[in-house]
Amino acid sequence: MKNKIKNILFAVLFLTFYSNLLIAQADDQCFKCHLDMDDAKASLYKTDIHHLKGISCSGCHGGDATSDDMDVAMSKEKGFIGVPSRSDRYQVCINCHADADKMKRLGSNIPTNQYEKLKASIHFQPSFDNQGPMADCITCHSVHDIKNVKDPLSKVYPTKIVELCGSCHSSAEFMKHYNPALPVDQVAKYKTSVHGNLNEKGNPDAAECASCHGSHEIQPVKDSRSLVYATNIPSVCSNCHSDTKLMAKYKIPTDQYKNYVQSVHGIALLEKGDLSSPSCNDCHGNHGAVPPGVESISKVCGTCHVLNMELFEQSPHKKAFDEHNYPECESCHGNHLVKPATDDMVGMQKPAVCVQCHSVDKNKKGFIVAGEMKILIDSLKNKDSVTTRILNDANQKGMDVSDATFSLKDVRQVLIQSRTTIHAFNLDKFKEQIGEGFTIINKAEITGQDAIDEFYFRRIGLGISTILVTLLVIGLYIKLKKVEKKS
Amino acid sequence: MKQENQKKKNKYLSWLDERYNLSGLLEFAKKKSVPKFRETIWYYFGGVALLLFVVQVISGILLLMYYKGTEDLAYESVKFISTKVSFGWLIRSVHSWSANLMVLSVFIHMFSVYFLKGFRKPRELTWYTGFGLLAMSMAFGFSGYLLPWNELAFFATKVGTDIVGQVPLIGEPILKLLRGGDDVTGATLSRFFGFHVAIFPGIFVILLTLHLLMIQRQGIAEPEEYQKLPDNEKKTIPFFPNFAMRELLIWLIVINVLAILAVFFPWELGTKANPFSSAPVGIRPEWYFLFMFQVFKFLPGEILFLPGEMVGVLLFGIGIALWAIVPVWDKKTAKGNKNTLLTYVGIFVIIFIIVFTILGYILD
Repeated sequence: MKNKIKNILFAVLFLTFYSNLLIAQADDQCFKCHLDMDDAKASLYKTDIHHLKGISCSGCHGGDATSDDMDVAMSKEKGFIGVPSRSDRYQVCINCHADADKMKRLGSNIPTNQYEKLKASIHFQPSFDNQGPMADCITCHSVHDIKNVKDPLSKVYPTKIVELCGSCHSSAEFMKHYNPALPVDQVAKYKTSVHGNLNEKGNPDAAECASCHGSHEIQPVKDSRSLVYATNIPSVCSNCHSDTKLMAKYKIPTDQYKNYVQSVHGIALLEKGDLSSPSCNDCHGNHGAVPPGVESISKVCGTCHVLNMELFEQSPHKKAFDEHNYPECESCHGNHLVKPATDDMVGMQKPAVCVQCHSVDKNKKGFIVAGEMKILIDSLKNKDSVTTRILNDANQKGMDVSDATFSLKDVRQVLIQSRTTIHAFNLDKFKEQIGEGFTIINKAEITGQDAIDEFYFRRIGLGISTILVTLLVIGLYIKLKKVEKKS
Repeated sequence: MKQENQKKKNKYLSWLDERYNLSGLLEFAKKKSVPKFRETIWYYFGGVALLLFVVQVISGILLLMYYKGTEDLAYESVKFISTKVSFGWLIRSVHSWSANLMVLSVFIHMFSVYFLKGFRKPRELTWYTGFGLLAMSMAFGFSGYLLPWNELAFFATKVGTDIVGQVPLIGEPILKLLRGGDDVTGATLSRFFGFHVAIFPGIFVILLTLHLLMIQRQGIAEPEEYQKLPDNEKKTIPFFPNFAMRELLIWLIVINVLAILAVFFPWELGTKANPFSSAPVGIRPEWYFLFMFQVFKFLPGEILFLPGEMVGVLLFGIGIALWAIVPVWDKKTAKGNKNTLLTYVGIFVIIFIIVFTILGYILD
């Protein structure tokens, strides 16, 4: 019963609103007259959202829409402004769209902060010819045939927006006026992406320009307010990729963001603010986003980890991985949840990753190489801590061992280089590299030990000389007493 | 056997005497004596200062073999001496400690001569040369302090030479002469190095020779009270061998103290001077300049119509000059009367130096 009353009340309200709308449209003398004159703009306006909402031409152009006398309707006294100028035309839009009360009265619940966002965006900067903002409302939404953004006929509908943005951003001629360095191949790349393919097939779910860059609030990529600023990208991508309902349709997992934020890359970028750390787009691409194929993973990782990639490509693992179709770096390091590489990853005991493929057989080459690498790394680290203790001890004893202490930095450098050399999976090469560390640390250890020995030598030397001088003093004193007694 | 040895000894002595006529010197040495009374202990400090000067010369020559007096290499060469050269650390530490002990000994020696009125006629010139030796010891310390070219020494030299620049009329030219320009730079280091190893030792040796010759010629001063004693109550110690042996005994103790200080408290090098960095906290000169430095800190920016520092320099200048010419204005002692005011002035000066030195360390 309650629902019935609700439905009746809704129908009454709808009819009241609709009948008022029809009356308003019937009274719009501007529209009527221009339509009679076969004015193309009036024809377009027939399906414009504003016309459908009962807004007359005078809503934007001023004048009196109720008068059928052209002189009265288009008189300055009645506020007729004609075609708004290029520089000020956005004012006509914001008269209503920035006024929450007006929008409410017109029965719209769309946000009224678009102008505020647009004003602060890159697009609202003055155009190169000083004719107004670079882009205003009409640039994207067009005029006289504006549709609801959810209407597939709207210029800014997801499947249309790529062409719209591309109309400027794909034109080198146009873009050079603003940023000659900015690429103009975004649309071309986008079309090669998974997103672009789906979008081209008319799928509005697929990410398009506005999904990542935003709409009214667009900022340059290097501006930290931009939605696609390096530190913002993971959350932008996760808007869709963490949406289990949406991703289920495409059978894509949704744990990438959760994993990424815990990864060494995610922590570096999001917690430490290290902009050199990769975000989603650095591995997957941005406009041409695709998951990297098994064969190209080392290339993608190698854009930053150059040495590791080079060493891996020369290593015996390259051939084996290719044969077994193993993803290269990912097999040991994972993908989104890349953890800081530790020395425990090497060796023949868990959690070493080598055991994932190599059998624990003491006679197998893999076992020998991995085991020996692990022993050498651990030995150098152990020697480093022992030598540090010796040098600290010498330092506390007041001995100068600054050169040796400084040389330990080189040992840590060798350790880093050795960890990189592991990727060649060549024991001789690895031994040659880590051997440099042992040479330095042995020298530092000897220096520290010598300094401690020298410290004790000084103390003993002092003790002996003090005793000798004291004996001399005593002898002299006895002699003096004898001499004085005599005299 | 004993007689044979004595014969051998006499043989060598007569060989030397035949060639160098040593018998006169030996006669002189035999007659030489030192008054024996309760203050005799103070007579040893001149000798201690002399020993430490000899240590300075020997250790300084050894350091010179490795030290490089240029802006780029000074710090590194001192570091090299301290860490790489065999016993370099000991030589450097001994040089630094003996320099400080030498200044201390010279101060004690000067005050003992002052209180015992050893400066009175006919020993005025001995006092003046002694005062010159004290001034030279402090100049040695000031110039040597900069030579390792470390941060603390760099800024302390800057402040020290700034104070010299406050001397009216001649301050500015002296400042430029010392620094070799407007600021403390590598040119200052070269200059200080030259002063420290060539000019100052030359002057010091001349003054020291004169000082020692005067003492030998006039004998050791007798204090007023001792002089008034009847001849039969005057006790003396023969200089050879008794006093010399006692002096040697003290020298050995000083050498022991020096070795302990050098080993247990090696002289730190600090960080290399960087003329472009801001002055570090806790800049202070060597302890024997600290009382003056502290007084300057307390002085207001302006006194009457003159800059505070200038007034300080003038007052210190007058005070030091009066101290130096004490044989001229102390008429009472010269006439054989007791001058207690002089003693009070001396006590005041000692208290003043001690109090302001302690304040310099406490209020750092």
